[in-house]
This record gives sequence, structure tokens and C-alpha cells, in this order.
Amino acid sequence: MTRWGMAIDTDRCTGCGACAVACHAENNIQTVGEVEAAKGRAMHWMRVERYYEGVFPDIKVRFQPVMCQQCGHAPCEPVCPVYATYRTPEGLNAMVYARCIGTRYCANNCPYTTRYFNWFAPEFDAPLERQLNPSVSVRPAGVMEKCTFCVQRIQESQELADQEERTVRDGEIQTACSQSCPAKAITFGDMDDPASTVALIARTERATHLLEDLSTEPSVIYLRGGR
Amino acid sequence: MADGLLHAAFRTSAEARVALNRLGQDGVAPNDVEVRSSVPLEHDVIPVGSKLRSKIPWTSLAGATLGGTAFFMMVKLTSEAYPLPTGGQPIVGLPPTGVITFEGVAIGAVLTTVATVLLECGLPGLKKAGPLDHHIALDHVLVSVKCDEGASTAWAAQAVETARS
Amino acid sequence: MSGPAASVHEEALLKPLSSFRPKLFVGSLLTGLLVVLLFYAWGYQIANDIGVAGITRPVFWGFYIVNFVFWIGISHAGTLISAILRVTQAEWRRPVTRCAEAITTFALMIGGLFPLIHLGRPWIFWYMVPIPTERGIWPNFRSPLMWDVLAITTYLIGSVMYLLLPMIPDFAIIRDRMMRENPKSLKSLFFRVAALGWRGTPQQWFSLEAGIKTMAVVIIPVAVSVHTIVSWDFAMAIQPMWHSTIFGPYFVVGAIYSGVAVLMLAMYLLRKGLGIQEYLSDKVFNNLGLMFLAFAMLWSYFTFAEHLTVWYGNEHAERMVFDERISGRFSGFFWTMIVVNTIIPFLILPFKWGRKPLGTAIVGFGVLIGMWIERYLIVVGTLSFPRLTYTEGFYSPTWVEVGILVGSVGLFGFLYFTFIQLAPIVSLWEVREGEHIKNRKEPAHQAALHPASEEA
Repeated sequence: MTRWGMAIDTDRCTGCGACAVACHAENNIQTVGEVEAAKGRAMHWMRVERYYEGVFPDIKVRFQPVMCQQCGHAPCEPVCPVYATYRTPEGLNAMVYARCIGTRYCANNCPYTTRYFNWFAPEFDAPLERQLNPSVSVRPAGVMEKCTFCVQRIQESQELADQEERTVRDGEIQTACSQSCPAKAITFGDMDDPASTVALIARTERATHLLEDLSTEPSVIYLRGGR
Repeated sequence: MADGLLHAAFRTSAEARVALNRLGQDGVAPNDVEVRSSVPLEHDVIPVGSKLRSKIPWTSLAGATLGGTAFFMMVKLTSEAYPLPTGGQPIVGLPPTGVITFEGVAIGAVLTTVATVLLECGLPGLKKAGPLDHHIALDHVLVSVKCDEGASTAWAAQAVETARS
Repeated sequence: MSGPAASVHEEALLKPLSSFRPKLFVGSLLTGLLVVLLFYAWGYQIANDIGVAGITRPVFWGFYIVNFVFWIGISHAGTLISAILRVTQAEWRRPVTRCAEAITTFALMIGGLFPLIHLGRPWIFWYMVPIPTERGIWPNFRSPLMWDVLAITTYLIGSVMYLLLPMIPDFAIIRDRMMRENPKSLKSLFFRVAALGWRGTPQQWFSLEAGIKTMAVVIIPVAVSVHTIVSWDFAMAIQPMWHSTIFGPYFVVGAIYSGVAVLMLAMYLLRKGLGIQEYLSDKVFNNLGLMFLAFAMLWSYFTFAEHLTVWYGNEHAERMVFDERISGRFSGFFWTMIVVNTIIPFLILPFKWGRKPLGTAIVGFGVLIGMWIERYLIVVGTLSFPRLTYTEGFYSPTWVEVGILVGSVGLFGFLYFTFIQLAPIVSLWEVREGEHIKNRKEPAHQAALHPASEEA
């Protein structure tokens, strides 16, 4: 069985934000503009949170890229009245846009606040509409959306592997964020394959989950404690 | 028997009761007598020999059982027919199903109760209004008797006499 | 021996049904304008997408959900109170039941509207209804929102039936009067249809009373379940100060509290406007005022218990929400709520002079505002402070949301004004029945009788 997972090394993260930009380009996420962003409606499936440790002048900035944690016990899933979000057999927290009626309950129940709502229909200022990814749908107004672990890339690789009659190799799938991270802080792979890089990282001492005490069993692992 | 109707309006239920007793003594079948009032007087004034029946707590109970079962089955069977796992939970979660079953019990009970009331009362009914119906609105008790044309005058005189005395 | 109980006071109840009342007309007109505002604002929102409302991230739920809980809460005024009073056979309930049940029905209709207004894509709301279609869409019965859908549907059907059943004999009374006065008029036709051919035979009364009794017993647990489930919309989520086991009973108590508040206010206005103080007497206000006081105490107790638990537990995420409520951004709301929901009722309601119509109406108005604030604090107060502090957010409503709130109040008024003109606001036959019972006990009590009339 496959269970997709991700590891993010916060000790490596420089907070450059390349992951967030790559995510926007890959997943056709709308840019809402200044006015809407000021209201808190900015949409970044991947966002880089900033925390300050210590007191000035002895201060240290830490970065934490946060996206949907693809929880094993996702609080968002059971509360959706129309099954617009559910759990795939491969451990993804899938979002069915066509079903979503926009109750926004899932977003309220997400302790990581990683769900984003299309308050208005997306508009892409020219020439941005020309770089829309044909493998990803553009979501209409009134629909919830969030990080999918670049499910279109996963499917592409799986189809290729099926044609070549083999299984997907470790490292073959790169999410947009892991591909674009200059510090190589993000690793993606199959958690159930004990030999995969991400599974190896998950077994190290530095591995933690975000808000672990809520027992949501996230598929994203944060590494920290080095340095 | 020719279709004649004899109406009498009584100010009080006691007067009506006397008239009804008299009708009973004269051997008028309870089905030929209709008592009507604007307040519930069914424990006070009813035609002699007629019985009050209601199946209500029982039909409501049956409806409740049916509603609860229907809702429970709806949730259980459909969830199993299209299994979609959410939040790492089992396909049929019993506690939420219990909540829904409860609502099924309630809605079943409500609907059957209303249906039983309508059925037992013969509503909606199409009977024509009588000449004295406005007396009911004044909280009088109206007694109507099915009878022959000839007999009506005599009975009317008797009944009213008795009630007045 | 008892005579007819159709008293001259009934004219005050029947007048709005037959004749033109300028006050009612103006009321209907003004509230009707607000209804236009409601649907204009909602239409504007559908045409221009949900973003025209002020809700944002992380406050995904705003005014609409607050209003939803608020109106559903008010709906606990009627059916529940009237059912409790019927089951306990409180004699003074008789003039109250009808106007209370009407509040339930209309508040529930409006409350049920808000989840639809709230949806991002309201035109596909039917995805939540279990209809087998070729699209293969089936609702998720694990979601508290689905419980809401079913519970509110059940409650709405139940309370409409519970309102309509006892109205049939009243419609028959009016029909019988109108058939004599002017049988050709449109109103006469309406009452002929509405009375369903009710005749008032002993068997009909027997069945009807059995039905009403059973409905009263069924409707009490349904009403409790409705607001419990509304509270579970919050309590089932793991957000700070939502995930609380006390929420079920807390919300039910709050709902009845706000329900009694509206009832007191409505009864005061009905008494003033229609001149029916013979029915909505000081005794009724006094008794309901005592019930009001009991719920003020219960609500205050629950509020204290809820906040003490959070404060003592001192869990980080919950303390953040708690502190903002007590002394931070929402403290103005919080302390206003305490004043109008706890302090003012405790200053007025324990005293006999306070449980007069005006006193209870003033307290009722305050509690109404206070209970709206309570829901605002719960919805917006929690959502503003998510666990990951980086995503804190602010919410302020736009004209669309305010317009829809004001419009919903208008819609309630409009429905109520219409109702007054279609049915006697006090149940005629139930009051008459009460008179008969009283007369049977004390035969001397036979004032205000109609002149005798009889025979064929």
C-alpha cells in the first residue's frame, strides 16, 4: 500500500518563499489582489510562517512552511455534509470541487487553518492566464480548496509507471514545492515504503508533527532541533 | 326514512345532555344523532350509545418505529453501498446514525399522529353547512337528528320541552 | 351547569380577521420593505458571489451563522414552552400557546433560511438532501450539518403541525360566523377551506385532543435535540472554546431563554396593539416572568461554569480566546452581554412589580440583544484566534450582512402581522374550554354570557 507523505526540514528552510510561488503556478491558485488580501483573503496553499525566538538583540527568526497536513484523522473530513472532502486509499485528503457547496465547516475545523475559500471567481490578469496548468482545474467561486500534494503529478507518474509495468520509484514524484526549494528542505515520497527517503527521515529523532497533541496524525513531518 | 334533519341549539351542555338522553330513550340510533360544539365536550355530551375511539398513541408508536427504522436503514445501507472513508473513521459511525435515527423516530411519530387525527376526524370533510351552524360559533351545543318529515315537529317540541324543564 | 363561554372579549381577537386595521397595515408595509431589503441583499450576494459579505479567513463563519443560531434559538419560544405547559396542564397557558407557537414556526423558517444564505454555492444546496440521482451524490450523515438539516426539518414539520392542529376548530368557529355574516367574501372562502370541514363532533374532539397531547410529548425532545445539534455544529469541531461537552444543554437553555424573551416582547406588543389584556393578563405575564427568571439563572450559571472551566484549565489555545473575550478585543461585547442577560434581569424579574408587561418586555428586549451577542462571541470570538497564531484574523460585516440581519427581523414581523390577520392570536376554543372548566368548579362565575338563543 502507498501512503504519501512529506518531510520539511525547518532547520534548512531559509524562508525564501519559492515553494509558495511554485505552488501558485502549479495549482492555478488565484491571486486575490491587494484589497482582498488586506481582508485576510489571500490564498496560498503553501505559506511560510515566521516565528521569532528570543529577545532583541539576541533574536532568531524561524520559518515554518505550512500547507494541508493531509491528516490521517482529518478533522475537516467528517464535518463536510456532502463528502466534498474525503480520504483516498493512498492517504491523501482529497477535495472534490464539484461537490463543494461552500459551508466552510471544514475550514473552521482545520486546526492548521490551511483551507482556502474562493470568495470570488478567480481572475488572472493577462498574461497570467496563459500559464495556467492544464492538468489542474480552475476553481469557481464558493468552493473550498487546499494543498493536494500535487495529486496531478502523482497520477502522471503512476500512469507512466503503469505503462512501463513497474511501480513508482522513490524520488520520481516531486511536488512543486519540493522541486523548487533551493535549500532542499522538502522531501516527498511513500511513507509505507521503508526504504524511501521520506520514511527514513520520518524515523529520525528530529521528526515532529505540527500540533501533535490533537492526534490528527498528519502526513507532513517537520524536522527541527538541529543547530 | 326521508332525509330530514332536525337541528336544535342548546345554551348549555346540561340542556343538550337532557335532550340526548330523551332521544336515546326514544330509540334513535346513535349514528342518526350528531352533536357539535366549539369546545371539547366529548366527556360531557355524546349521543347515547355512541363510543369514542382513537388509535392515537398506538399509531404514533408504530409511526415512530417505522420512521426510526427507515432513517437508520437509509444511513446504514447507503453508507455501505458507497463507502467513502472520512477522517480515518469507520464507514458507518453508530453515534451519528443514532442522532439521525432519533429524528426519524420523531418525524415518523409526528406525521402518523397528524394523519391519524385527520383520518379519524374525517378531515378534510365536505359536509354542507347547516342553518344553525353560527350557534356553534357562539359556544352553543348543536344537536342534529336524522328523521322523517312528519316526526320532526313532535320530536322538536318534546326535546326542547324536556331541556327547558 | 355552565353556559356558553363565548365572551364579548373575543371581538378584539376577531376584529383583525374581518376588518381593515390601519395599524396592522402600516406594520405590514414597513416590515414588508425590510423583507425587500433582505431579498435584495441576498440576491446581490448570489449575483456577485459570497465575497461581498465580510467573512474572511480565518473567520469563515460570521453574521449568517450567528443569525442562524439566534433565530433557531428564538424558535424555542413557542412549541417547547407551549408543549411543556400543555403536558403539565398549566391552566394559564391557554391564551399563550397560539402566539408562542406562531413565533416558533416563523423563527424556524427564518433560521432555516440562513444556512442557505451562508452557503458559497446556495443553488446546489440540494446536495445535502438525500435524493437518489444519476450524479451519485449522497450526503455525509456524519456531519453535524446533516443532523441540523434533519433536526430542523423535523422540528419545522412538527411545529407547523402543532400550530395548525389546534387551529382547525378556531377556523371552524370563524367560518360559521362568516358564513352568516357574508358568505360570499374571499375571507369566508379562506376560512371554509382552512377549517377543513371541521364539525366539532365528540369523536373529532376526542381524536384531536389525543393528537395534540401526543404531539406535545413528541415535540419536547425534538426541540431539545434541535438546539443540542445546533450546539454540536460547534462542539464537534476541535476549535478552542467550541469543543465543550457543556454546549448541548448550554445552548438549549440559551435558546429557551431567548425564546421566552421574544415571547414576552411579542405578548407585550400584542396586548398593547390589539387590546387583548383580558387574555394576556397580568397573571400570565407574572407566571411567564417567573419562568423567564428561572432561565436567566440557568443561563448565568452555565455561562459561569463554561468560562470558569476554561480559565482554570488554562490550556494555551483556549486561554487566548478566553482572554480576548474577557479583557481583549471582544470584552465590550462580553460585558454588555453580562449586563443585559444577567444583571438587568436579576434587578427586575425577582420582584412582583418587575413581572408586569412593561418590565418583562424591557428585560426581553435586552436579553434578545444579549443572546445575539452571545452567539457572536462564540462564532467570531473563537474563529478569530486559531491555534496557529500566524493566521489570526479580523472580521467586520458588510452592508450585505447587516441588511440581511435587519431584513430577517422584518421578515419575522411581516409573517407575524400576516398571521394576526389570518387566525385569532389567542386560541378561542382553548380559552372557552378553560372557562368551562372554571365554571364547572365555581358555578357562580357566569358573567359576560351571551343572550340565550336556541331551537330549530
